[in-house]
Amino acid sequence: MVSILTFIVMIVVGAVVLGFIAVSAMFLIWWERKVSAHIQTRYGPMRVGWHGVLQSVADVVKLLLKENITPEGVDKPVWWLAPFFAVVPSVMVFVCIPFGNLFGINLIARDLNIGILYIMALTSICVLGIFMAGWGSNNKYSLLGGMRSAAQIVSYEVPLIISMVTAAMFAGTLSMQKIVEAQKGMWFVFQPNMALAFVIFVISATAEINRTPFDIPEAESELVAGFHTEYSGMKFAMFFLGEYTNLFIVSALAATLFLGGWQGPFLSPVLWFLIKTYGIITVLMWVRWTFPRVRVDQLMGFAWKVLTPIAFANLVVAGWVLLR
Amino acid sequence: MSGPIQLLNNLLNNYGMPQGFIVQASFYVIAAFAVISALGVVVSRNIFHCAIFLALSLFCVAGIYLFLSAEFLAVVQVLIYVGAIVTLFLFAIMLTANIGDRSIRHTNRQVLAGGVVAIIISIFFIFVIIGEPWKKALVQARPLTLQEIGKSLMSAYALPFEVISLILLAALVGAIVIGKVRKE
Repeated sequence: MVSILTFIVMIVVGAVVLGFIAVSAMFLIWWERKVSAHIQTRYGPMRVGWHGVLQSVADVVKLLLKENITPEGVDKPVWWLAPFFAVVPSVMVFVCIPFGNLFGINLIARDLNIGILYIMALTSICVLGIFMAGWGSNNKYSLLGGMRSAAQIVSYEVPLIISMVTAAMFAGTLSMQKIVEAQKGMWFVFQPNMALAFVIFVISATAEINRTPFDIPEAESELVAGFHTEYSGMKFAMFFLGEYTNLFIVSALAATLFLGGWQGPFLSPVLWFLIKTYGIITVLMWVRWTFPRVRVDQLMGFAWKVLTPIAFANLVVAGWVLLR
Repeated sequence: MSGPIQLLNNLLNNYGMPQGFIVQASFYVIAAFAVISALGVVVSRNIFHCAIFLALSLFCVAGIYLFLSAEFLAVVQVLIYVGAIVTLFLFAIMLTANIGDRSIRHTNRQVLAGGVVAIIISIFFIFVIIGEPWKKALVQARPLTLQEIGKSLMSAYALPFEVISLILLAALVGAIVIGKVRKE
């Protein structure tokens, strides 16, 4: 029964990936608190477990046990569905993230030949969840947060996708696994075109996942908490899960497209992939706790007047370099 | 296609399930979702709900493309229609003041003319549906590779491709001109 075995393997892989997403998000929340604390010469969580490693577990238990509050006046179906729209596409992206190989088996759920395109398509749906949350909450701050977020994500999607396309051009394929293999000799980031594309990618990815310095959708001092102001308990936890999953995804993409993915000497490929990904995550956290928030007009101006033209010019030069 | 659905299908075939049952069942589920959400677009009274239904419907259509082994088309459908166009719709809805408070009317003054046109079109469709023998395709279309799509877009279909880009550009410029506030 090859068929039944394959099916069981598929289900097990799915479960493992889901478990990884949850544990990774919990770890990242703890790590973020630790990084921020040490940047501000504090200790951060210290009480639960060694240096507070179990703090996130305690928080998750708390969130699971919380009462599910539905505020009066919300647009119920939209309000209920929003957290799912925010999380499910992010989880689906994991189908084509190459985690490396273990004992000769490639750890990628499905190496689609349109991998990058698939990831772009799914990340572009995430914004629907934010919209629905902002609208469904029937709260002006949520609405403002949702609108800001949408404007920002739509704008920064352009340079993001163009920088990803540059990577695909250099690899000559859209399959994630083959892009990693194309970087066997040299990581893409060491080519001048790709180095620029990498910088553009990281900046616009930071904006895409609404992190400081581009966190105007949830600017605490202006908007309470933006689109998820009215959410509590498990629904709030879903938004948080989505946010940290997206953080992992963009870092994994940066590692895969520009830093050679799971390739590296001596250590196991899986380890290399995780080192690179969590390294980029740590840099993004460092950025978050160091830079102040930009203004709305600065944000949009930067996307359309600086990043997009540079990304396009870079794409043209990359095409010239490849066809020369 | 060797995805989970196909696998489950083959698995259950071994235990006496009719050939292709799961594949067909999942096709009908997705098709039904597409139709129901398309109905939601026109029936719903809240314009925001309409837009969400539209996104769902377009997403289900992408699923149907997957059944036709047109992966590229499916992904582009999600990227362009759900990710870009519906997002733009939602953006426009949110920017329009108080549009969510009003429930939209489903009829306007042209009920009579519209009704006549609708009836004519439905008669036409009914005739087409009845008249069609609905033969099953004997040859399954070969799934196109990405390279083939790219090459044909740059050679055989270069002109239509460019014309479409030009039309889009013209529409963009037009939108900006219309949307621009005129200073007296």
